[in-house]
Amino acid sequence: MPKILPAGVTAASFAMAVKEFQGVVGADWVFTSDPDVDTYRDAYSPLWDEPNEYVPSAAVAPDTVEQVQALVRIANRYKLPLYPVSTGKNLAYGSSAPSYSGSVVLDLKRMNRILKVDDKRNFALLEPGVSYFDLYRHIQENGLKVWIDVPDPGWGSPVGNALDHGVGYTASPFRDHFGSHCGMEVVTPTGEIIRTGMGALPNSDSWQDYRYGVGPWVDGLFGQSNFGIVTKMGFWLFPQPEAMGTATVLAPRYADLAPLIEVFNYLEDSMLMTGMQDWSSPLGGRFGQPQPEELSALMANGWPSDEQIEAYVRAHGGVAWQVRLHFYGPEKIVRATSEYAEQRITQAVPGATFELDEILKLPPTPEQARSHENDPHADHLGVPNMITYGLMSRRPNDPDPPQGHLDMFCVSPRTAQGIMQVNRTLYETARELGMPNHASPFNTPNHWYHRCYMMAGMMTPTYRDDTPDRSAKNKRSRQIYETAVKNLAAARFGLYRTALGMQDLLVNQYSFGNHALLRFQETMKDAIDPNGIVAPGRYGVWPKRLRDQRRPDGIDAPVAALKQNKEGGA
Amino acid sequence: MIRFATLWLVGLALLAAAATAATASAQDAPGDVARGKVAFEHSCAMCHGPGMHGGRLLPGTASLDAKYHGRVPATLEDRTDLSADYVMLVVRRGSEGMPFFRPTEVTKQDLRDIAAYLTRKVR
Repeated sequence: MPKILPAGVTAASFAMAVKEFQGVVGADWVFTSDPDVDTYRDAYSPLWDEPNEYVPSAAVAPDTVEQVQALVRIANRYKLPLYPVSTGKNLAYGSSAPSYSGSVVLDLKRMNRILKVDDKRNFALLEPGVSYFDLYRHIQENGLKVWIDVPDPGWGSPVGNALDHGVGYTASPFRDHFGSHCGMEVVTPTGEIIRTGMGALPNSDSWQDYRYGVGPWVDGLFGQSNFGIVTKMGFWLFPQPEAMGTATVLAPRYADLAPLIEVFNYLEDSMLMTGMQDWSSPLGGRFGQPQPEELSALMANGWPSDEQIEAYVRAHGGVAWQVRLHFYGPEKIVRATSEYAEQRITQAVPGATFELDEILKLPPTPEQARSHENDPHADHLGVPNMITYGLMSRRPNDPDPPQGHLDMFCVSPRTAQGIMQVNRTLYETARELGMPNHASPFNTPNHWYHRCYMMAGMMTPTYRDDTPDRSAKNKRSRQIYETAVKNLAAARFGLYRTALGMQDLLVNQYSFGNHALLRFQETMKDAIDPNGIVAPGRYGVWPKRLRDQRRPDGIDAPVAALKQNKEGGA
Repeated sequence: MIRFATLWLVGLALLAAAATAATASAQDAPGDVARGKVAFEHSCAMCHGPGMHGGRLLPGTASLDAKYHGRVPATLEDRTDLSADYVMLVVRRGSEGMPFFRPTEVTKQDLRDIAAYLTRKVR
């Protein structure tokens, strides 16, 4: 008997559904015992062991698309929700736990076939259980001349990561994982198989070459959503470049941020500088690192004036911004492009310096791939790794770290004004909550997506061990997270992705036209999934019969309907 | 350190029964050291291997290095004090910053094999 069942499902009907699931995949691949089902909890949950923690009733692991279809049909008969996961490593965004407790996790990890990697047309076709490590190994073992673009860490699924709008570190457009996909196979909530784009043309050889096919393009419906179960997905790959150049730009003044961004935007949008910009400031502001004492003193009495900030920069080394740039291509092109970039940047920002640190001939040696001397972030070389875990696990200077965290990154336009508005909002939120402040004028953006920046938000650790005050600490993290989401939205900024328990709240901020977008999505949900069996509540999209589960004001607030809101249009 | 040691022992005692229950149904097939090495390389070594990445120890190895300060080897493959039950417990229940692994990621057979591999040096 599971700990929790979905609304309307009795213990007897659940048992019958499980028996039918076993008939499809075999008894070994239906998990109902507590120790097995507990592995489908969210290891980073901010609700660990709370009554409202998101937990499944069972898990089922198909091996083929036909089995997925059969399971979906059974789930429809019993109105038993299924929550699909790929490799289930979406830590900080929900892991493999369902968005509606009592759902059965549809674990696609066994569907791990690399169906095709073509290094002449530069694409891959994958099943959802394939990990970045698997794909990288396959490419290396077969001597294929293509790169993958990896997020951190590398144990996740290209399919799952793309569907959650995940990002990476090599060149644009490949860093945008959903944006560089081409073609999907999807099992609909009623058990049909559809193929998108050219896949809809029987026996087409262009499924991974042209993404639109004809008519309305529907692929976007399957990202961060619950309109179907993606069982195959194509990706465009980066032909193995001949070289990677890395350069360092230093800018002396706080006020240099605006012209620096403008010239980067020109170089990037002209496709001259497609590599990722690694922003930092030698004065502090790295997410996850303690704020220097002198910077904390500067921030102690309110947001400093521009004059105070400039004086602080001059007194602390005279460098406000540091950006590492990456250039990919033939060595001659890398040299020429970096020379041109140097010219444009130093013209636009008087006093800025540009240093071409290295041109690394590719492919990297295994040693370079593991430990590139000047740029230890192997992700820029498309090599999957787990470095990020090392930044969050126990270290000599952090002997007792939390067991998890919630990721919080908000979209900012590529402007100095946007970056500073986010930083000021986070700063004021920290003061409102009476918590240690990590925001300053020197917090810098992340440049995963090509046409925007992502700004790191508040520190929100989560705990699942025997810490005596675990519940209170997790509650505090939820409060911080929810307050930041609301304050950022009030300042016109939104997160691009969020954890279980925060999705209703976040979607509630995207409320233009009295929530017209969400109402449109839910109209489609009801038509596509009449029994509401695929991932109810994922990213705030609830099927009609479960719409009373919505918590638009946060996970600790009561369930509620959407409030009337005509702000920004009607 | 007393806190760590105490919690570790209490946790082990409380959870041992759960680990036994989780693996009882398949105890008829013993773990295999050679297969365990392959499974360890596939599922564990990216964090718990002996190598370096970006000038740092791999994250699991670094964490154990910071925890034990050399009292036991930081690399799991060099440990001589692990029990099979404990290995299986940690994989399925997680440990501190390490999340738990589902039976589709590390199958029940893989888990027995990994446990056999990591306990092959037990004296």
